[in-house]
Amino acid sequence: MSEDIVREWIERFREGREIRRRYANWEYIKRQPPRLRTALEYYIETGDFRTAAKIAGMAVDEFLYIAKYEANIPTTD
Amino acid sequence: MVSAVADTPFIIDWVRYSKSRLIFRIFDVVYIPESVLNEIRSESTLLWIAEGLESGGLAILPEIPDLSREALNIIARSRRLPIRPVDYPEAFCLATGKRFGFTVLTENGGAVAFRDVDPEYRDVVVWRAIDVLFALWRAGHIHSFREDLDRYQQETKHIYSRRDIAKYGEYLK
Repeated sequence: MSEDIVREWIERFREGREIRRRYANWEYIKRQPPRLRTALEYYIETGDFRTAAKIAGMAVDEFLYIAKYEANIPTTD
Repeated sequence: MVSAVADTPFIIDWVRYSKSRLIFRIFDVVYIPESVLNEIRSESTLLWIAEGLESGGLAILPEIPDLSREALNIIARSRRLPIRPVDYPEAFCLATGKRFGFTVLTENGGAVAFRDVDPEYRDVVVWRAIDVLFALWRAGHIHSFREDLDRYQQETKHIYSRRDIAKYGEYLK
C-alpha cells in the first residue's frame, strides 16, 4: 500500500468535509429536531450518508434529499 | 460499448441531471444491484429507473453468492485501512466490476479510495459522474465539458473538489 496514496485520500476527505461545512445552512440545521440535527452534523463531519440516514431514521435517498435541498449540504465524495 | 454497474449515491445524483439519459450512449447496460435498488425510495428516482428498465438501458443485478462473499471480503479489508471504509452496496459493485469487467459508477469516496489502495482492485475501472461527463464530451454527446460540469453540479448539488477538477484542468480552460 502506498502511503502517498493514503495520504492523498485523507486530504481529499478533509477537503470534502470543508466543502460540506462551508455550504451547510447552519441556521436550518440548528432548527431541526435532535435526531435529524445530529444526523446532519454527523454527515457534514464524516460524509457517511448511510449511517447518517440511520441516525435520522430515514431511507438513504430521503436523507440525502433533505441534506442537499433543505440543509444545503452538497455531496462531495 | 461496455456495461457498467452503479451504486446508490451515483444514481441519486445522476437522475437529477437534465441530460441523464445520455448515459445510455456510452454504456449498453447499466446494472443496478438489488442492494442499491433497496436503498432508493423517492418517486422521481424510481420512475427514472423504471423507464430505464423498460427501455433496456438498465437491468437489475441480483444478489450472487460468490459476489456477496467477495463484497464482504472487501468490507473487511477496507476496515483495516486508514481511509473511509467501503459499504456493502459499493463493495458489491466493486466485486461485480472486477468479475465481469464492468465500469463501476460511484460517488462514494471510500470505494474509489479502496480501488486506488488495494492491489487486487487496481485494474477495476471506477468512474464518477465527472468522468462520465468527460466521456460524453469526448464522444461528442455534449458540446462543452465545462458548461455541462457546471450544469451537473448546479442541478445535482454535487460539488467536485479542487483536486477532482484538477484532473481535467487542461480540458476546462
